[in-house]
Amino acid sequence: MKSLVVKDIKKTFRLSKKQRKIEQTDETKKVALRGVSFEAQPGEIFGLLGPNGAGKTTALRCIATLIKPDQGDITVDGFSAIKASSEVRKRIAFLTNEMKLEDHFTPNYLFRYFSRLHNISDEVSEMRKQALFKRFGIDKFQEVKVSDLSTGMKQKISIAISLVHDPDYIIFDEPTNGLDVLTARTVTDYLLEMRAEGKTVILSTHILNVVEKLCDRVGIIIDGEMKALDSLENVQNIASDQTLETLFFDLVKESAVEEHA
Amino acid sequence: MRNIFTVFRKEMYRVLSDMRLVLMIFLLPGISIFAMYWLIGTLIQNQTEAVQQHTIIVYEENMPADIRSSLEGLVDLERPVNMEFHSIDTLEDSDLKEKVREGDIDVVLRFDADFEAKISNYDQAEAPSLFIIYNYGRQNSSFGYNQISSVLNQYQSMKLMERLEDPSHAQIFVTDYADDIVDERQMTGQGFAMLLPFLIVIFLFAGAMSIGPDSIAGEKERNTIATLLITPIKRSEIAIGKISSLALLSFISALSSFVGLAFSLPKLMQMDTNGVEYNIYEPIHFVLILFTLMATVLIIVGLIAVISAYAKTIKEASMLIMPFYLVTMIIGLLSSFGTEPSGQLIVHFIPIYGSVNFLSSIFVFQYDFANFVAVIVSSVVYTSLFIYLLTRLFSSEKVMFQK
Repeated sequence: MKSLVVKDIKKTFRLSKKQRKIEQTDETKKVALRGVSFEAQPGEIFGLLGPNGAGKTTALRCIATLIKPDQGDITVDGFSAIKASSEVRKRIAFLTNEMKLEDHFTPNYLFRYFSRLHNISDEVSEMRKQALFKRFGIDKFQEVKVSDLSTGMKQKISIAISLVHDPDYIIFDEPTNGLDVLTARTVTDYLLEMRAEGKTVILSTHILNVVEKLCDRVGIIIDGEMKALDSLENVQNIASDQTLETLFFDLVKESAVEEHA
Repeated sequence: MRNIFTVFRKEMYRVLSDMRLVLMIFLLPGISIFAMYWLIGTLIQNQTEAVQQHTIIVYEENMPADIRSSLEGLVDLERPVNMEFHSIDTLEDSDLKEKVREGDIDVVLRFDADFEAKISNYDQAEAPSLFIIYNYGRQNSSFGYNQISSVLNQYQSMKLMERLEDPSHAQIFVTDYADDIVDERQMTGQGFAMLLPFLIVIFLFAGAMSIGPDSIAGEKERNTIATLLITPIKRSEIAIGKISSLALLSFISALSSFVGLAFSLPKLMQMDTNGVEYNIYEPIHFVLILFTLMATVLIIVGLIAVISAYAKTIKEASMLIMPFYLVTMIIGLLSSFGTEPSGQLIVHFIPIYGSVNFLSSIFVFQYDFANFVAVIVSSVVYTSLFIYLLTRLFSSEKVMFQK
């Protein structure tokens, strides 16, 4: 049963003194997710939209098994992210801005290293490496240390390495953040190719243009709650002027009023 | 197993492919230890030679001719002692004391007038006195006094014998020592036991400290740990891969320090050109030392790995490791400079202390195989515990990701 199902996940973080200071709050806990549910099917790009701090990254980290939800579950191809995390990790690619590659190594070495960790034979790894490196224009830099490469090139290497095992589920958190127009285009084009290949792509972003261009279905998450969840077209129809931007701002405003009340 | 080896190989490659790290971890410890101990040895040697070559300035009054001639005769010894004699004349004690304090005079000897006559008429007159001024805070003065003191003792013994009608009566009893008791190997081994276990454990700890925090806390600080944790590899495999690679790297680093020490030891211990006798040990001893070191390095690396995984940054990890480093130094000191190595089995179950104690017992040839087994078994248990803890820490989202 090929699908990724997020079912009623809740997550609360205990805030450290440092975090309380940064967030200027006396609260010792922060509720990041308040029962979020959604599904993503093969051959679709699901966009998770929301302002900064809404809980998008937390939801994706739960799916990626980096953190565990306090309540609810996530299943990938029927495997629970809590009980069978290793099986889930075999099936997903996960990329977030907080994840970095070790600067000291070359893209070539890192690709081989992560291939081995994914139990991929050297022959298959080499073939995939050549294809991905060529696709992202890394082939010329494959023996250059990551530390000597530009931000855009590092991001492309991160994407290529996250795909070493040819996963069916691609979960990218703000993949075009900080990239120039050309590099961003390479990334978005690749995601469209992945969809065409029947992969499931979950994309978190706050760039509405990217969502409108790429996503088949959209979930808008604000303050840890899923405020809207439907196809892009249906979500756009909710807004008075039928734009995602208007709906997004309305929902953010509405949420702020509720919080204030 | 394949995954463990992959992590192991990557950690090794990270260090071995970086010339700066190779220099810092493998070459610099050996070179700096050699340079440091060689310099200390050279300075001690220079200082000793400077004192021996110094002409001792002696101010005297009424010095008996016999004593004067004995002191002048010191110049003919294998290591000649030069003395320059001056008469006190009109100098007051206060002036003399000031000059001795300043180092202008090394020793002052003020003998009673008729010193020898009084000695000869011992049954009719009071014993003559000798007033000495020297400064034990100054090496030249102290060395001069020691030379003079031994001549005075000889002079006193000679005069005592003269008082007896038959000089042989001065001999109360004859002391004879058995000369086949001392085991030369054990004596040399005691020297090693005092110095080496302490230094070895320090080298192992320092080696592990220089790479451990960067390998684990560094990955957290640089946000590269999540990239590793997102792979299907088990957390326990990461823990074993990290600990085993760090153990090997620390071991090589300690070996570098040890080679530096071995080359500088003859200079440090002021030995002759034949150097230090390392060949008193047999292959079995080296095998035991090797296994004990491997067991010890696993405990040390395990401890450092757990602390590094708990810490948020390399700086915090280094800070948290420091108290354990100090405790390890104290353990090394206790074992090396305390009493003889303990043969008690229970002692060998104490982490690090047991290893240091067993190393000492190998060096003095007093080891027991049961204790060796205790060291190895306990190290395996402690290392397993550290691997378990490290696995738990790698699985803890709070420890891994909370900033």
